[in-house]
Amino acid sequence: MKIGLEIHIQLPTRTKLFCSCSTAGDEVNSSVCPICLGFPGSRPMLNRRALEMGISIAKFLNCTISERVWFSRKTYFYPDLVKNFQITQYETPLGRDGHFTVGGRRIGIWEIHIEEDPGRIKRAGRAGEEIALVDYNRSGVPLVEIVTAPDLTSPEEARAFLSDLLIELRHLIGLSAQDETTVRADANISVGEERVEIKNINGLKNIERGLKFEVKRQSKLLAAGKKITRETRRYDEERGTTLPSREKEFEEDYGYIGEPDLGTFNIGQMARALEVPETPLARASRLEREHGLASSSARQIVLTSWELADLFETLAARFGAETATTWTLGPLSSHWKELQERHGDGAGEKVVPIIEEVHTGAITDAEARMRLDVLAGREAVIATAPTAQGDLEQLVVRLVDEHPEVVKDYRNNPRAANFLIGQVMKETQGRYASKEVSDMIRKELEKRV
Amino acid sequence: MTGKDLATTVRLADERYRMFAEKLEDPLAYEGGHSFHFSAKDNLCSVEFQARAGSRILEGYNPPFDATAIKRLKEAGGLLIGKTNMDEFGFGSFGTNSDIGVPLNPFDTTRCCGGSSGGAGAAASVLDGHLSIGVSTGGSISCPASFCGVVGLVPTYGRVSRWGLIDYGNSLDKIGLLASSSDMIARYLPVISGPDALDPTSQVQPPLSIEGDVGSVAIPEEALAGLSDGVRKAFEEAVGRLEGMGVEVRRVAMPELRFALPAYYILATAEASTNLARYCGMRYGDIVEETDLGFNELFSQVRSKDLGNEAKRRILLGTFCRMVGLRDRYYIKALQVRKLVIQAYERQFREVDAVLTPTMPFVAPRLDEVEKMSALEAYHADFLTVPPNLAGLPHISLPCAYIDGLPAGMQLVAPHWEEGRLLSLAARWEREFQYRRPEGGA
Amino acid sequence: MDEEMVRKVARVARLDLTDEEVGRYAAELEDILSAFEVLDEAPAMEDFDPGPVPVEDRLRDDEVKPYPDPERLRREMRAADGWVRGPRLT
Repeated sequence: MKIGLEIHIQLPTRTKLFCSCSTAGDEVNSSVCPICLGFPGSRPMLNRRALEMGISIAKFLNCTISERVWFSRKTYFYPDLVKNFQITQYETPLGRDGHFTVGGRRIGIWEIHIEEDPGRIKRAGRAGEEIALVDYNRSGVPLVEIVTAPDLTSPEEARAFLSDLLIELRHLIGLSAQDETTVRADANISVGEERVEIKNINGLKNIERGLKFEVKRQSKLLAAGKKITRETRRYDEERGTTLPSREKEFEEDYGYIGEPDLGTFNIGQMARALEVPETPLARASRLEREHGLASSSARQIVLTSWELADLFETLAARFGAETATTWTLGPLSSHWKELQERHGDGAGEKVVPIIEEVHTGAITDAEARMRLDVLAGREAVIATAPTAQGDLEQLVVRLVDEHPEVVKDYRNNPRAANFLIGQVMKETQGRYASKEVSDMIRKELEKRV
Repeated sequence: MTGKDLATTVRLADERYRMFAEKLEDPLAYEGGHSFHFSAKDNLCSVEFQARAGSRILEGYNPPFDATAIKRLKEAGGLLIGKTNMDEFGFGSFGTNSDIGVPLNPFDTTRCCGGSSGGAGAAASVLDGHLSIGVSTGGSISCPASFCGVVGLVPTYGRVSRWGLIDYGNSLDKIGLLASSSDMIARYLPVISGPDALDPTSQVQPPLSIEGDVGSVAIPEEALAGLSDGVRKAFEEAVGRLEGMGVEVRRVAMPELRFALPAYYILATAEASTNLARYCGMRYGDIVEETDLGFNELFSQVRSKDLGNEAKRRILLGTFCRMVGLRDRYYIKALQVRKLVIQAYERQFREVDAVLTPTMPFVAPRLDEVEKMSALEAYHADFLTVPPNLAGLPHISLPCAYIDGLPAGMQLVAPHWEEGRLLSLAARWEREFQYRRPEGGA
Repeated sequence: MDEEMVRKVARVARLDLTDEEVGRYAAELEDILSAFEVLDEAPAMEDFDPGPVPVEDRLRDDEVKPYPDPERLRREMRAADGWVRGPRLT
């Protein structure tokens, strides 16, 4: 099975690609101007930030960056397209021949370029006679288009690819949750020999659903000995199915030409000057390599929070990977939200001394955990629980006293102690390391045997 | 002249020569202490008039902004008295391709004004002290300048901001000036020139200089074939006069010039066919509000009804030249040829200050003669003006002869950004050669 | 450029042509394209630019400048309730 995606994502710039209108328009046709409405006499001016973002993405995806690029006009007729041509890049994309790794597999990136979004159509009127009502707030918003090689091998992998890509782009260009709802893709999928294209699917969930349906549809046809027609289909969001595209009565030939009004751009230079910052999953890979972390652990840390990953690296540098891992994956992860809320950037500074003390043995695990609880503002738990070593001894003695039958069983079966260990852990709400509890219970039981 | 007199003059001239698509009607509008008056070709936007670009498909388009060139002239004290008639969207060399109005040649009203800035040529010819803004894509300033006996200057591509110009070909359109003498042009070219934040292609120019001169010219032999007897003879006389002024004349060969016309028509129509795609009855101009038609049917219907013959022909040609499987042979090749032609001129400019040719191969044809011309013949009329237009080189057309009473011009082409030397030569020429005004000129 | 090609190009360009027009344009464009054949003699050039003078790296800062009068633009497009009305979608 081969799947390739053509992904469109809105770039989080303040203004549109070719004019200074805000990308955040609310009321219908309010964030518009003669340029993004294609008024006769208007002409475009390229947004520097959009170009920089596009180049960052190309570089991040390991593409060969074109030295010089310009823009092209793609001509077709539709009510949402103000000029009846879209300014895109055809002759010269920003980058080619890159790759992105997901789940350990390298997926080829054929090319990436930027282009403008058309407006948004609202259908009005009776079914079959609907007219287009158009809001051009979206007209001219910058999009990045990323075209993959047909290297994806399942709908699940396609979804994971998109999901991971968005995680990285969030950090790389500041993609917001709102921007992510705008992700659209065209998918090419062949279960057998013939390739079917599904156009214009919105959102990751629908993309996965659409692909899954298509896999089933193609597989069924093949199983019945039928041929798969090479065609373009559309995705029906309500039913989660793909359908043949409506018959095209009118021809489109995009007839690409250059866009002379914008001129050319020497992006080779710009790309060389740009530093690609470390993104979350790239960081996770590095943590795996450098500290021998399991892939899932590394991922969990970076996806919880960037600052948590910073803290992990600090702890690893000072106290070694094992200590850093235990504490980061455990209490620090679970308390992270509160720690950030109460201490902001200073959380790390306050945590490190506590870990230092437990690492050197100056305090016990339990003490350390308690202090982290305090730091996270979980006062309530502290007030009602014993906090000193002596208290544990008292508790153990009391429980052994209360369960003479365990003492009796223990003579013949050391595993009988487990019941009491469990009880202690339950009563102390896991505040003590299980090894510590186990040792103390066995010691007490030994005394009485 | 008083405001009231000017209003009357303009009205009478328009009645006789039909140069305006729209003009100030209220005589009071002509009062106001303006230091000069100007007109703008109807493909330039201004807030007080419609901008129809000679086309019914833009009927009712009231631009919400002024073209930068117009804005700058207004700020310099100019009164915009009207929008001049033109071939639809710039498609034509005779001023006859428009349902809105066909301007008549002030020297002989049975003849055309040239195109596509026909009205601009007539206005500059007839109205005393008037400045016309025109637009040249393949010769649309030079041709009417030659046919109407006025000076027409086309600056370097990118010298004047195209913000507010309704596009024909974005890599070819140049806003320029026509007037009955070059000093008006020399005074106002600096006003409309200069970088504009709204047009990136206007931001790369070096500062405009009105200095420089033409001490030597090259005449390519290719420019002397296919001329009418009258023009050939008149041109050689003009050359003799230039030599008498001390200009060195060299006869050269520029074989690359024969590629310019096809390359120009391919690029111009390819770009135009995309520029005109937006005119579909939905957002500007002739908007169709109630319809049962599907969008493709509606778009096709409005375009077919409102666009003229020449517009359709150029859209078909331009669309063809950029289609899959054809664009390499036509569109891409044409882009390469432009570079070739620029290099051919640059080779000449290492030896001479300007390249000299007649502007047009004949004087203004009669309107019935234009009617009978085939499309190819009409295109071929541009063979002298197209090369500098394709190359984006600044050029000027100067009246140099009157053939049976009808004006003919000569064209000088300078290197990119060297408008100054053209205006200097023009000033010198005007001391040697007396321009005639049409009878009935005001 | 035969009649079939003219019809195809006309469809792409959203022009309804009568049969007479198709015939006429086919003949005219055939002549014009024959005249263009001289281009085949022109040497191929390595690279090319979209325009006649170099226009390089002209960029605009990403600062919002709201258009002062969007209502004027909506009026020009005959928008109703703010929406621009388009034709039927089928």
